[in-house]
Amino acid sequence: MANTENLTLDIESVDERKANVGETALLLLIACVIGTIANYVATGVGALEAFPGMAILFACSVAGLLMARFVPLALPSVAWVSLFAIVITIPGFPGSAWVVEQATKINFLSLATPALAYGGLALSAKEFAIARKSGWKIVIVAICVMLGTYLGSVVIADLTLRFFS
Amino acid sequence: MSQSRALGADTFVLHGIVLAIVIVAEAIGVLRIPIGIAAIVLLPMLYAFAMGIAINPNITRATARYLTPRVQKFAGGMITIAITPFVAKFGTTVGPQIDAIIEAGPALILQEIGNLGTIVIAFPVAVYLLGMGRETVGAVYSIDREPNLALIAEKYGLDSPEGAGVMGVYATGTLIGTFIFAIMPTLIHAMGVFDIRALAMSCGVGSGSMLAACTGALTTAVPEQKDLILGLAGASNVLTYATGLYVGLFIALPLTQWLFRKARPELY
Repeated sequence: MANTENLTLDIESVDERKANVGETALLLLIACVIGTIANYVATGVGALEAFPGMAILFACSVAGLLMARFVPLALPSVAWVSLFAIVITIPGFPGSAWVVEQATKINFLSLATPALAYGGLALSAKEFAIARKSGWKIVIVAICVMLGTYLGSVVIADLTLRFFS
Repeated sequence: MSQSRALGADTFVLHGIVLAIVIVAEAIGVLRIPIGIAAIVLLPMLYAFAMGIAINPNITRATARYLTPRVQKFAGGMITIAITPFVAKFGTTVGPQIDAIIEAGPALILQEIGNLGTIVIAFPVAVYLLGMGRETVGAVYSIDREPNLALIAEKYGLDSPEGAGVMGVYATGTLIGTFIFAIMPTLIHAMGVFDIRALAMSCGVGSGSMLAACTGALTTAVPEQKDLILGLAGASNVLTYATGLYVGLFIALPLTQWLFRKARPELY
């Protein structure tokens, strides 16, 4: 495991265009079922009550995947998914009030929990090895990177808000 | 890839393990640990990630029978899929806040440039304090999530020094990013200097889990502003999804390269 070639990460999952939409939709359904249970444990909102909201999120997700696959624009599917969800909740869009009401029944934090459970289980020997091999310097740099990205945006946003108000 | 990949018995074991982890994590719920004037917010997603790592066959050998490398690779693909409904949910918080978002429009657009703050802080630390070589370029030019990794892979190859840098920060960010983004915003908020809208929109760094941790922490700290926080963060995250790759390609990476050539001309 000493040379860097063995430690190269596998990034083929980045190319989402190759994914089979039918299979992805099925896996999305599994994710939504787990998300519904997570939402129930967190908030007590039952599956039946959460169903319309989850169905809306599922539909936006599938629509976004299809757009990323078939529209020749370099936009990731998550960007399309967001755009669909934004448009159908803008006041004035037909049924937007109902959509918002249904979506409110889904706790946003509960939907992130399954993804991170998969994330913890997916970490490969390579990823542990890279983190170990990179050493403490990279850990410090990584913390500076995260702090810098966040704080840089906070400072500029704050100054701009002050300037325009 | 055939249907059997998604529907095999081994992947069902994986979904079962995830379900069990999720139920435990959500049952524990959000915890606030006060430290002085601020509080550290612990979120279910953090416990879920920690439990996932604890069960990971590279840590606990006993699970290797069920979590084969093939299943683990599949789990890697499931991260992107499982985060998609979360991204959709975030979108639905944006629409109702559209007026507040348009009002904050200039800030929302300009703060995307603020993502270059990574260079401002991390570059001097890497080059002057830690004496790092060309790894610096890959490590500090961006937050080093998947699209940024792909860009470096294409330009330098991941077996180059720049590739080692981007992979190191990527792997570290994967391991501790959620934790950092759950702690940092609350501490910065506790300073009492910055507008909550600025703190919220800066959560959109282009990573689903970091967005989740950041907004989870902020909404726990300021629950009465929840809708506004989610709306602004969601809008900013979409902007980063759409612009992040281009900012990296045309601004951040050339800028980092130029700075590095100035600082360490002997390495080129």
